[in-house]
Amino acid sequence: MFTIPRHTLGALLLTTVSVVALAVPASAIAAGNDADAIAVLQKKLDQSIKMIEALTARVQELESRQGGTVAATQTASTGPATQQQVAEVEHRVQQIEAANATRQQDTTGLPIHGFADVGIGNYNPYFANYRGANIGSLDFYLTPKLGDRVLALSELIFEVGPDGSVGTDLERFQIGYQFSDAATVWIGRFHTPYGYINTALHHGVWLADALRRPKFLNFEDHGGVMPSHTVGAWLTGAQRAGDGRVLYDLYVGNAQQDSGGTVFMQNAGTAHGTVMGGGRLSYQFTGGPLDGLTVGASAFTDKVDSAQTNNLTQLRVAGIAAVYDTDSWEHIAEAYVFHDTNLNGPPGTKRSTAWFAQLGYRGAWGVPYVRYERASLDQNDLYFAEQQFGASYYRSAAGVRFDINPKSAIKFELANTHTLDFRVSDVQYGLPEDYNEVLAQYAVRF
Amino acid sequence: MHRPTIALGVALVLAGLSGAALGDDVYVICNSDVTLQAAEVKDVFLGEKGFAGSVKLSPADNGSAQTAFLGKVLKLDLAKYGSIWTKKSFRDGTNPPPIKASDAEAVAYVKQTSGGCSYVSSAPAGGVTVVGKF
Repeated sequence: MFTIPRHTLGALLLTTVSVVALAVPASAIAAGNDADAIAVLQKKLDQSIKMIEALTARVQELESRQGGTVAATQTASTGPATQQQVAEVEHRVQQIEAANATRQQDTTGLPIHGFADVGIGNYNPYFANYRGANIGSLDFYLTPKLGDRVLALSELIFEVGPDGSVGTDLERFQIGYQFSDAATVWIGRFHTPYGYINTALHHGVWLADALRRPKFLNFEDHGGVMPSHTVGAWLTGAQRAGDGRVLYDLYVGNAQQDSGGTVFMQNAGTAHGTVMGGGRLSYQFTGGPLDGLTVGASAFTDKVDSAQTNNLTQLRVAGIAAVYDTDSWEHIAEAYVFHDTNLNGPPGTKRSTAWFAQLGYRGAWGVPYVRYERASLDQNDLYFAEQQFGASYYRSAAGVRFDINPKSAIKFELANTHTLDFRVSDVQYGLPEDYNEVLAQYAVRF
Repeated sequence: MHRPTIALGVALVLAGLSGAALGDDVYVICNSDVTLQAAEVKDVFLGEKGFAGSVKLSPADNGSAQTAFLGKVLKLDLAKYGSIWTKKSFRDGTNPPPIKASDAEAVAYVKQTSGGCSYVSSAPAGGVTVVGKF
């Protein structure tokens, strides 16, 4: 198709106008007659005007054709290509969305989470025979996805023990199957379901508002006097009822053993096949004025032998617990009573009690708390008498937690602890009878 | 501009933003094999309800609508939501819901996943069950 560039058309029009303009005066002078000259000039001017009009029309026509050609060319060159590109992009986006949509089912990796803490104080918060700075624990936990109903949880921890050295412990290792909301079965090593703290707060101290657990509820290798871990089977579940939920736990496992002054959960099994077992029943309010309140009762029986002596104690423990856990408050109370029988010792049942109450306020600036705890442990009960930290005591404590960010917190606690039945073994271990503590702790999760 | 004026301006902008986020509609959707009541949505996304009848629920968060969802349905902020799941995961051995990036991803996930539930910011075209509009 014939086309004239735009700049060429413009030059042609300008040249024509210029020639006409220059020719007019020359013709008039040559005529020498004004009237004739004017007539001639008028005629030529008319012709020139017609020519200009014709050229203008032609230029417009050509410009119109050229523009149409360009538009058509652009449409012809970009339309199908663009549509194809758009289709490819849409297809790609759909693929990405589909891949992301099914990402939950992939098995490309296992995230590792955990907790860690360090501290400093005039006493070690768990072992009062040590003073100064301390490393607390490095706690890794894994919750691999093994399908819709299969659950697994492992918790591997590096922590300082009573002898001051770092040890490794598989604190929890449990594999479960979820039949329904009302029934999940776990097998392995788990936290014994009693009270509230033992299953709610665990080893990661970042989880707790307070700097540490009540002394008698510490883990076995941190001075606790109760079997906080069980190796066995655990049935647990929850069912909606009224304004809340009924929660239950039933479990059976290896009977514990007193080993070196601490309660040992016998990971490999027991020498004589002795078992322990128990249950917990709780009600959790999830609406109304009592929203956040959970109350419950628990009980277990255990037959604890001794690795050092021939002591064999039948434990019968009952407890109650209440927790008020809201955005503003955390109040916890637990109480236990022990009715123990030393099967190879003096006849009769030994009664002991242990309880604590903690009040905490969750302010925007920090979480202050106060706690009182008391354990009256019969030293004629060989179960307590053989334990390194089995003496009766009471402790008053006040503390505060500051969250530096959502993953780290620093806590401070002032406490007084008084041992009620100071024993010879306590002197041997270097434990103080009455002591005031100033403690600081830096705890993180990751 | 004086500092109080700047502060007031910033506050108004933030208030407007949060108001816009909370003002957005949220549609909770589930796979067609799920029968669920709107009142149960909170339990599902906090891991307290894992089954709808015999169907195992698999909730997924939608990052593009999460702020509005948490504020309107769960009455939580993101930090509190994360804290709850950290504690629950550590206690129960469960994992928090996976996060989808957009409404389209959330809808695709729900369609493809038996027991799948999520939420979107506009009414879904179809192929999913709308449990509730919040």
